[in-house]
Amino acid sequence: MLSQQILNGITLGATYALIALGYTMVYGIIQLINFAHGEIYMVGAFVGVLAVTVFQQGLVASLLMAMLTCVILGVSIERIAYRPLRRSTRLAPLISAIGVSIFLQTLMTKLQGPQPVPFPPVITDALYKIGPIEVSKVQILIMVVASLLMAALTFIVKYVKIGKAMRAASEDYDTAALMGINVNRVISFTFAIGSSLAAAGGVLVGIYFNSVSPFMGVTAGLKAFCAAVLGGIGSIPGAMLGGLFLGVAETLGVAGGFDTYKDAIAFSLLIIVLLFRPTGLLGRPIQRKV
Amino acid sequence: MKKSKIWLILSTLLITALLITGCGGGGTENKQAEGEKAAADGGDTIKIGFLGAKTGGHAAYGVETLKGMKMAVEDINNAGGILGKKLEIVEEDHGSKLSEGTTVTQKLITRDKVVAIVGDPTTGITKAAAPIAQQNKVVLISAGAVSTGVVEIGDYIFRDVLVDAVGGPAVTKYLKEKLGWQKVVIVTSSNLDYSVGLTKIFEDAIAANGIEVLERVTYSEGDQNFSAQVTKIKDKNPDGIIFTGYYTEGGLFMKEARKQGVTAPMVGGDGLLSDVLMKMGGEAVEGSMVYCGFAADEARAGEKTKKFIEAYKAGNNGALPDMFSAQGYDAVMLLADAMKAANSDDPVKFRDELAKTKDWSGVSGTITFQENREPIKSPVYLLEVKDGKFQIKDTVDVI
Repeated sequence: MLSQQILNGITLGATYALIALGYTMVYGIIQLINFAHGEIYMVGAFVGVLAVTVFQQGLVASLLMAMLTCVILGVSIERIAYRPLRRSTRLAPLISAIGVSIFLQTLMTKLQGPQPVPFPPVITDALYKIGPIEVSKVQILIMVVASLLMAALTFIVKYVKIGKAMRAASEDYDTAALMGINVNRVISFTFAIGSSLAAAGGVLVGIYFNSVSPFMGVTAGLKAFCAAVLGGIGSIPGAMLGGLFLGVAETLGVAGGFDTYKDAIAFSLLIIVLLFRPTGLLGRPIQRKV
Repeated sequence: MKKSKIWLILSTLLITALLITGCGGGGTENKQAEGEKAAADGGDTIKIGFLGAKTGGHAAYGVETLKGMKMAVEDINNAGGILGKKLEIVEEDHGSKLSEGTTVTQKLITRDKVVAIVGDPTTGITKAAAPIAQQNKVVLISAGAVSTGVVEIGDYIFRDVLVDAVGGPAVTKYLKEKLGWQKVVIVTSSNLDYSVGLTKIFEDAIAANGIEVLERVTYSEGDQNFSAQVTKIKDKNPDGIIFTGYYTEGGLFMKEARKQGVTAPMVGGDGLLSDVLMKMGGEAVEGSMVYCGFAADEARAGEKTKKFIEAYKAGNNGALPDMFSAQGYDAVMLLADAMKAANSDDPVKFRDELAKTKDWSGVSGTITFQENREPIKSPVYLLEVKDGKFQIKDTVDVI
């Protein structure tokens, strides 16, 4: 049963990791905690529902539709709400992010009502027995899609030109600009990738939990943010590890009867890790730039 | 310079805020006095407040309650009103939020000067609103609060529902005797007043009937992920799942349960009574059972209930009324009858008549208020989800 619970946790953690990547990449480059990121995930989930119900699309097409919509949304948010504030105090874009987040939440509540919406059945679920544990088709799907997306991201960051530019910008934003990197393009690209991953996370969670609500981004966003910091904010493998770690911890906590403290578990873990490793599990040492 | 300016603005704001609340506090009493005077002098209408949600998590309850209330008001006004006046409903929407619930109650009493409030359909908000009604001596009659600790708040607080303390034990006995349940798991929403109360009632009844509890699991309102809870219960092989929370989570919980191969049916209180249960749960909630104080049972219904069902169907494209619409209807009728008996629309006077209600036959069943204003209602309807609809499985007599 423990192994079964760990599997449940990994599934949940994979979705946290997908969202956490967006936080970590944006932070890595412009040192902004994009609090609207959780809402992008929520919008992604709704676009998924829309794609299945209204446009009668299958799984792959609805995933792509959600990702594409959120790429546009994420890039526009950056253009409208963050870019004009880039040279002001660090606090200004943060507040702006909170504003965007509340705006998207209320907008979605207005559009479709505050009640959760069921995610239409887009694949027929099945249960497979592997030794003592049972794994459902949806769980496999989540883990496969999440792994594929994360692998693609790692590839882009490591080997593709724009990825190299991202790394350069995260090392030193101004120097990268001086070296002829179009930093604005890099930032837009970062938002695009982060948002598309969050959207994919939204659709997968919608399918897994069978429900999508305008407020789903709040806790998921906070948890993912927590995962990003836990793993070491700015670090891509850190975000993945942090997400999985949190998902498993939370599920085991609930299984142990501490469901009321479910959300507190994430933050307690965060505090403990930060006390002993201020830069997170896989974070770089702070002294580097000195 | 800049700093001092900010301080100036801040302190001005603070003082203004204090002044406004100060005035508001003082004004309330005046307004209230005026309100009583107006009620005593008699305007052209008697105002009854609706306290409930038209939007938000439990909007389904509020909307139905309001429908019933409107039908009752229409019937009364068509028959000439009460005491020569027309009835009028003042509607507000608290959006399923506890904090808004108290604000709305305050507004209904002080601004709209209602003589009675019908609502809230949920126990939690009723408990928050009741002290305000009690303090202002306004009758509050909840058409949906089924958990404990409601009428204890004061002698102006009533309810016309089948309370869980009556329904839970009756249903548990039925589960044991008629369905042969020996072992169950209990699922509680740990941050929902209603659910915690109902779990307590079920636990006692289960112990009294010699049923074994295999496992107790909890979740929080708004949860979407029930995989850990279901994994915990799936090897226990229970005869049934006692689910004391609301419909959204109920549907999602059963979906996850069926996904992990749990075949036991679910039983719950009227917290599960909404079509949203089927919307969220789909096929997974087939066979789930819900008990409540009213079901549109045309075969068994009396003359009055039949008329109500017909009228409801006519106004709602053939849909059948649920317990909330029936109890909303009855709540207004109870108030109207009490006002007629007291020959006054002053809550201080008709409250006494309301408390005397005995064997009063409404559309939702026969109601008697006990000494403590706790209603006795019989029978209990046990509904079952069949082909995506609630259908009457059986009726359980209480007395």
